[in-house]
Amino acid sequence: MKRILSICALICAPIITSAQVQGVMLDTPVDLPDFTFSDENNAEYSNGDLTDKWTIIMIGFLTCPDVCPFTLGNLEAAVAETGMRVRPDNVPNVWFLSVDPDRDSEYVSEYAPFFHPDFRSMTGERDQIDAFIEATDGFYRLMPPDSTGYYEVQHSSAVSVIAPDGTLRAKLQPPFDPGLTAEFLARLQLTYRKEQSQ
Amino acid sequence: MKPYLVTLTLALGATAASAEEMQIEGAYVPIAPPGVIAHAAYLALENTGDTTRSLIGVSANGYGMAHLHQSAESDGVATMSMIHQLDIAPRQTVKLQPGGFHIMLMRPNGPTAIGDTVPLTFTFANGAVINVDATIRHCDAGS
Repeated sequence: MKRILSICALICAPIITSAQVQGVMLDTPVDLPDFTFSDENNAEYSNGDLTDKWTIIMIGFLTCPDVCPFTLGNLEAAVAETGMRVRPDNVPNVWFLSVDPDRDSEYVSEYAPFFHPDFRSMTGERDQIDAFIEATDGFYRLMPPDSTGYYEVQHSSAVSVIAPDGTLRAKLQPPFDPGLTAEFLARLQLTYRKEQSQ
Repeated sequence: MKPYLVTLTLALGATAASAEEMQIEGAYVPIAPPGVIAHAAYLALENTGDTTRSLIGVSANGYGMAHLHQSAESDGVATMSMIHQLDIAPRQTVKLQPGGFHIMLMRPNGPTAIGDTVPLTFTFANGAVINVDATIRHCDAGS
């Protein structure tokens, strides 16, 4: 709980001062639980795939008509901008983790590459999704279905930034202004490299 | 018989005038990834009249269902809810745009492609009905 509070304080502070990026670097890196996510083509995504590169992980669901596609579109612009400020091998990968495997597992792989060919989308077992979301301070809830069986999914809109050592280092809140997000990520990477060289 | 005809003419006239006072502009549907069964339409509703207009219904050709929806964010959680009536005050424009109001289009009848049009029908509380074609195009998010 303490960690959550300090994150909130950090997020809120920049909003008050100016139109800075709504992101927060964590004081202490957070280890991620073991996971193996997958798609309908049996491609697997596990902790090992997060090492030696930067990764941005967003959660959502494919039946989301508005916020999820918009967020992925914004992330695409932000990552492109980041590519102009950091070394090519430090440009973050982007993962879209569906928290709605029941509806999405059959075609989840096609979703994220639609926004950028290098983006990846996957889903997984409920307990592994839940463990990942808890570790990254996220939230989601499947809403009760309507008379047609359709249901909404509420979920946190912040994305997780994972460092090359596989730990959670920062959270970013939309909108992802391309320039500000790129600056934030470049600064985060600098901080990380300093820490690693100590 | 005559009074009825007069009444009908007046009613039709009123509807036409009311419709003219509502302008629906810039309607588009961002092309959705393959397999996705929920699309969104965005547009601007401009009320050039002197009275508040209330949008109470939307339908879309080529989709199983269309609803007016509102996305919102509360404490960092993205939520979506159905809206049954959207009021547009006199001389005001209400924009349906990503992250806010949108027309949610459910269950496309078939694959969609850039340049296709989606015929939308808007029904207002005063009886006015406006037809608008939304164009399917690339999303221009973030740029």
